[in-house]
Amino acid sequence: MTQTKSPMARIIIYIVLALFTIYNVLPFGWTIMNSVKLPKDANARTPRFVFSPTGENYADLWLNASPEDFAPYGLALILIIFALIVIGFSAPRIPAPNSLVYIGCIFAGVIVAIGLPRVVNTAEFYDYLINSVIVTLGTLCVSLSIGALAGYGLARFRHVVSVYILVIALAFRSLPSLALVLPFYYLGQLSGLYDTHILLIFCLVAVNQPFTIWMLRSFFMEIPREIEEAAMIDGAGRLRSFISVIVPIMWPGIITTGLFTLLLAYNDFLLARILTQINWTLPIGIAQFTGGEDPGHVTLAAAASVSTTLPILVVIIFFQKYLIRGLASGAVKG
Amino acid sequence: MNKGTFTFFVGPSVFIMLALMTLPLLASIVLGLHFITFRNLDEPLWVGLRNYEEVLADPEFWDSLEFTILFIIAAVPLRIVLGLLFALLLDQVTRFRGLFIAAALVPFVMTPVVGTLIFRDMFDRGGPYWYWMQQLFDYRMFMNSTTVPILIVFHSIWTATPFAMIVLFAGLQTLPQESLEAARVDGASWLRQLWHIAIPHLRSLFVFIALISIMDSYRVFDSVFVLTQQNPIYDAETIMYYNFQVAMSFGRLGKANAMSVLTVLGIFVVLIPFLVITYRDQVEES
Repeated sequence: MTQTKSPMARIIIYIVLALFTIYNVLPFGWTIMNSVKLPKDANARTPRFVFSPTGENYADLWLNASPEDFAPYGLALILIIFALIVIGFSAPRIPAPNSLVYIGCIFAGVIVAIGLPRVVNTAEFYDYLINSVIVTLGTLCVSLSIGALAGYGLARFRHVVSVYILVIALAFRSLPSLALVLPFYYLGQLSGLYDTHILLIFCLVAVNQPFTIWMLRSFFMEIPREIEEAAMIDGAGRLRSFISVIVPIMWPGIITTGLFTLLLAYNDFLLARILTQINWTLPIGIAQFTGGEDPGHVTLAAAASVSTTLPILVVIIFFQKYLIRGLASGAVKG
Repeated sequence: MNKGTFTFFVGPSVFIMLALMTLPLLASIVLGLHFITFRNLDEPLWVGLRNYEEVLADPEFWDSLEFTILFIIAAVPLRIVLGLLFALLLDQVTRFRGLFIAAALVPFVMTPVVGTLIFRDMFDRGGPYWYWMQQLFDYRMFMNSTTVPILIVFHSIWTATPFAMIVLFAGLQTLPQESLEAARVDGASWLRQLWHIAIPHLRSLFVFIALISIMDSYRVFDSVFVLTQQNPIYDAETIMYYNFQVAMSFGRLGKANAMSVLTVLGIFVVLIPFLVITYRDQVEES
């Protein structure tokens, strides 16, 4: 619509938007501050914006050992992560197949992640992180692979059956997940799968699948049929042409859907709370800081909050474009 | 694409949804007819409809339903109105637009448990909002059965307004340019453009956001869990939260399953119009 020319109005608009922005990010900023405060600063009667920072809360959160003992390992860890990132990004220049380099990097990362607690005395929070990573990546892989196949099939098969599947999926999407997870809990207890990653992953996949196929389908609909028809004339089958022709040009759509899946799996609290007992994920680990009068809780909770949220915020800011596109496109079609 | 290939592509996903959603729902109906606690998990006791009778006669169930409905009535319109307001403001500016949107994404993508925890800290004693309210309005906030429900609503607006804003902002970018041009030539004011062009164009988005918001608010759990600190004195239990408590705190799995069957029936009241609209759209499209 017409943008106003009045300078007064423009100033007011900018001020309101700036206040809105502050309102949106201030709580997180305040938590970052709290996470590097000493308990006496964090529990002060008046909020302190100036204080001498400390890294103690993070050390308490992640380590059972003293920070001095950890320092050399920490340095090594940072160097290894840095090296893996550099190798990953320069993969095209390394004289080996790209996929081999990526797999090697991931493999090395897994080794480091598993090996670290054997070298350093890490605290429970590290285990929660590992659990969260396993559950999130597991959910992403299963959900996206079967979701992409289904989304493609639903986009190409113009038949009333597709409509039925989509509408039923939509009904599933709106169900309270508690209605699903209680039977999962019961069956998990009976079968011994309770408190395993696999049960949580499959529960998350199930909850997430309706949304995934809707979103991926809407992206596949944008791809003209001629593209895979050309490949099929050249003799490739449906699946071949799907994998080698469609998927490569579908990356933006898959990333967008993947981001929403990532958020759902990583942020989930209710399912993990019910389906785990010891193998907690990060949100459950944080929730233990919600009660209690211990003055150390505030700073520890802040360190835990920042540790949990920062990775997800970095990923989201990095892929912001895709997320916004997903929000916009899902909406415009709905 | 023929039927065989279609089955091959869609099969795994449909199988997962059938096996992991339909079966649990059916199991939930069966479990709801039994008396089950943590002690007799492997030998449930058949009690027929007694769980349902108990749920329907449970005053706490009705309290939590009432609170959930009040929550929906308070939160959903505010989200849409504020979302529209900020979408319109965003539409007015060009500079820093990306920054404003990126900042708005922060509460939206943040892990809900964490988001609630830090939101509460702002209003807790010694937090900035608490301090500013005290300095500016001489109001000392306590966590009690009035403020905690308000905080739950505030928090939900904090996290959901960005969603409404981005969706509506995207909608504003697809306004029919010819009508806007015509309105401009006729000298229609911004307000008239809004009323006669933008709002009608966005109508389907309002419905979409409202339905999503109602369904999400109906399921609100994480923020209640954190803000009430599992303490009943705040009198702010939503239906999901009470259902969770019946299952995990009181250990009444059978009763909890009966209750979740009832909540599923409840959501269908809202859902059916949504499904009918979608069905019509999709049939038209294909």
